[in-house]
Amino acid sequence: MKSAVSRIPAGVVTTVVALLVWQLVGSFGPLHGDSFASASQAITGLSSLARQSDFWSAVAQTVEIAAIGFGISVLIAVPLGVVIGLSRFAYRSTKFTFDFFKVIPPIVIIPIAILAIGPTLEMGIFLVVFANIFSVAIQTAYGVRDTDPVLLETMKCYRMGTWSQIRYARLPAAASQISVALRLAASASLIVAVVASLIGGAPGLGQLLGLLENAGKTSQAYGVVLFLGIIGLLVSRAIVLAQRRMVFWSGK
Amino acid sequence: MRRAWRWVIAIAVAGWLPVFFIAWWWHASANSKNPYFPPLSKIWTEFKANWIFTLVPVHVVPSLINLFVGFAIAIVLGIGAGTLLGASRTGARYTEPLIDFIRSIPPVALVPIFILLLGLDAKMRIASIAFSATFPILLATIEGVRHTNPVLLETAQTFRLTNQQILWRVRVPYAKPTIFAGLQVGLQIAFVVTIASEYLGSGFGLGAFTLNATDSFLIVDAWTGVILLGVLGYALSLVFDAVERVSLRWYYGQKKLA
Repeated sequence: MKSAVSRIPAGVVTTVVALLVWQLVGSFGPLHGDSFASASQAITGLSSLARQSDFWSAVAQTVEIAAIGFGISVLIAVPLGVVIGLSRFAYRSTKFTFDFFKVIPPIVIIPIAILAIGPTLEMGIFLVVFANIFSVAIQTAYGVRDTDPVLLETMKCYRMGTWSQIRYARLPAAASQISVALRLAASASLIVAVVASLIGGAPGLGQLLGLLENAGKTSQAYGVVLFLGIIGLLVSRAIVLAQRRMVFWSGK
Repeated sequence: MRRAWRWVIAIAVAGWLPVFFIAWWWHASANSKNPYFPPLSKIWTEFKANWIFTLVPVHVVPSLINLFVGFAIAIVLGIGAGTLLGASRTGARYTEPLIDFIRSIPPVALVPIFILLLGLDAKMRIASIAFSATFPILLATIEGVRHTNPVLLETAQTFRLTNQQILWRVRVPYAKPTIFAGLQVGLQIAFVVTIASEYLGSGFGLGAFTLNATDSFLIVDAWTGVILLGVLGYALSLVFDAVERVSLRWYYGQKKLA
């Protein structure tokens, strides 16, 4: 009897139990009412949204902000990190400043971004870039500095130029650092795209969520949050898979 | 003497860029006519008038209280439940998919859900902060308690420590570095959600002050709010690093030896 239950994957059991508890709490518990949606109400809310084209254009806008912002961050931050990592002076001079901006969450500068850029797609992209650029640059620089010195000396003996040193020693050495930084940046991009839209008024799922909340459309608001959790989970799984393929030698 | 010199040089190398940046900003914005980028001198005057320390009790103190209360609740829940789940293989196996899912929701997106449930006051803010910050701490604790160095465990078993003793004297203490990594993420999330809960649930708090200033085109005030939020965010991370360094001194010592 026990073996029959334990053969079902843990994820399935958990999902079913969680949905049941959520449903019961929403239908009978003290939370029952207009301000709380049960599992079935949230799923109904999501499926009613899924039939509207507004919803899918909001999804597309959020993905667009996250993807373009992520792309720009990588294009700027990785080369910048390599340059900084090549010189000890540059690394030490930028460390404090970059660390300072790295720990400041982009939500802090939203008021200024709204004023200077306006509640647009571009503002969202700017915030995503701001969120990622410092941490990716620092990690890249750190990885580049961590190159095996013996390898570099050997390459110098063979009179290999700076370019080949970067190409064959420094970038491979930094690859696992860079890929960790990019993984964090990719999930951060999606989150920041939602924040920019919920609080900064950029187009996308956050803005839709805010509108639904203000209109008191509880079950649809829960539906959006459910959807955000599902894409968040899919994105983080996809990133782990992509990382395993690209940096297969690092063993992580 | 030489040591002192080394310090001076290190500070000069780390500090010239921010000093240069602020000087450049001060100079370049001095005659700025762009309404969105007022002169830094004006921002500084207003900053002193607002935040040293006239408005601190009204706007900064309530934000920090919410932040710390919410974060404290998250620490207790996260480490408590994490220890229990980490100690039981089945418990972790069945709860992890759910924890993973909830953690995948952008924390700020939960704020509207809490507004619907609890309204706009401090209760809602603390609940959203505590809820969002719990999950990274919970996951890190499960991870840390579960993966103890096998040599340590075998040694403990050789000395016939009971399972309870192994949990509290070996697994939990040695999970500390992992737990601290979770706490760091938790604190960052708590800070972001504190601001978000104030942006969305208008009224008091530094976030609300700043966004209201933006909406009323009090641009200099908005700048002072943004700068103070940035400084607070950095100060929090410095305090956290200091606490971590002191609590994990043994760990960094071991790492140096290895």
